[in-house]
Amino acid sequence: MKYSYIKPRKKTPFTADVQLIVTFFSITIIMLISTYAFLLFKDYSFAKERANLMQSRIELEKNIEDMDQKIAYIKEQKALSEKVFTQNMVLKDSIANLFDLVPERITLSRADLLQNGLILYGVTPNKDVYNFMLQAPLRSIFQKTYTSFYPADGGWLHFVSTNYVNEDEGEELNSEN
Amino acid sequence: MKINISRHQIYILLLSIFLFLFVLVFSFGLLIPEGQEYRVKRTALKKVQKEFNQYQVFHDETLTTLKDLQSKNRNIITAFDRPFSAERFEKQHKLHFSTLTISQVKRAKDEDGFSVYEVNTTSHISSPTNFYDFLDALNKGDWIIGVNFPIKFVRDGEMIKSSFTMKVYANNKDKNASASTSSAK
Repeated sequence: MKYSYIKPRKKTPFTADVQLIVTFFSITIIMLISTYAFLLFKDYSFAKERANLMQSRIELEKNIEDMDQKIAYIKEQKALSEKVFTQNMVLKDSIANLFDLVPERITLSRADLLQNGLILYGVTPNKDVYNFMLQAPLRSIFQKTYTSFYPADGGWLHFVSTNYVNEDEGEELNSEN
Repeated sequence: MKINISRHQIYILLLSIFLFLFVLVFSFGLLIPEGQEYRVKRTALKKVQKEFNQYQVFHDETLTTLKDLQSKNRNIITAFDRPFSAERFEKQHKLHFSTLTISQVKRAKDEDGFSVYEVNTTSHISSPTNFYDFLDALNKGDWIIGVNFPIKFVRDGEMIKSSFTMKVYANNKDKNASASTSSAK
């Protein structure tokens, strides 16, 4: 026996109200989880990037230290080479001055240039020529000057002139060079 | 007055409350602390990045200085690196002397952290000018060489016989520091 002419609709727990609520909360929860996942991923990438940066920084520090050492070494090389070049030039000037010092009338047969002195061997026409023309300038340079003469052929005199600067001044000169 | 709430409506209400509580707990329990951590880590990263940039700038400046020094002092650096060769030295400087003889190279005491080798030299020159030219040429030569005392000049007929000691300076291999090798990355 039928009580109604229409077909009964099916009863379901997912009514329109439930669907609306579930949809709303689903979207909300998906958004929240997406944000959380994004934050987790960013945290991970930050940590990774930070570790990479720290590693690169350590390498940079090492490189900088290495380069600083090289720079210091090149400066040492430059300083030493300049010192050596200057010494060579000073030596050149000293030898030039020495040979300029010797007058034409005196002939040198040997010259020993020492660290703190000079020994000259040669011949002079007489003692006066030697004393006035060579010993005087030598005395102005060296603190200790000793000369010995012995006769040579033709009335000339052989001489040996030994000249030294004071040890202290010699050391000062060396340290300046 | 009687409030008539159906069972279905109660289910909907309970479901809504449950989902709302879930959203609240998730937000305050996980999302907000994670967000705060994100901000802290982002600030820390920015700080590290800034420091790294400063190091990078300093590194680049130091590299420029090193390259500049290396290019300006290339001859000196190479001269310190080059081992002394008596034959090559004679070849280079023979034009200043009538004869030039170089004795055995022997190791001397280190100076300023550099190796020093002593070389005894005997030669004949026609005029002191030759010796001056030799000293000039030494400073432009392949090695760092200083002429050392004592220097002896002895008249030998029309020539002057000169004998002197030279000091050849080189990199100290014990120090394991060679500046000529460019390893800047």
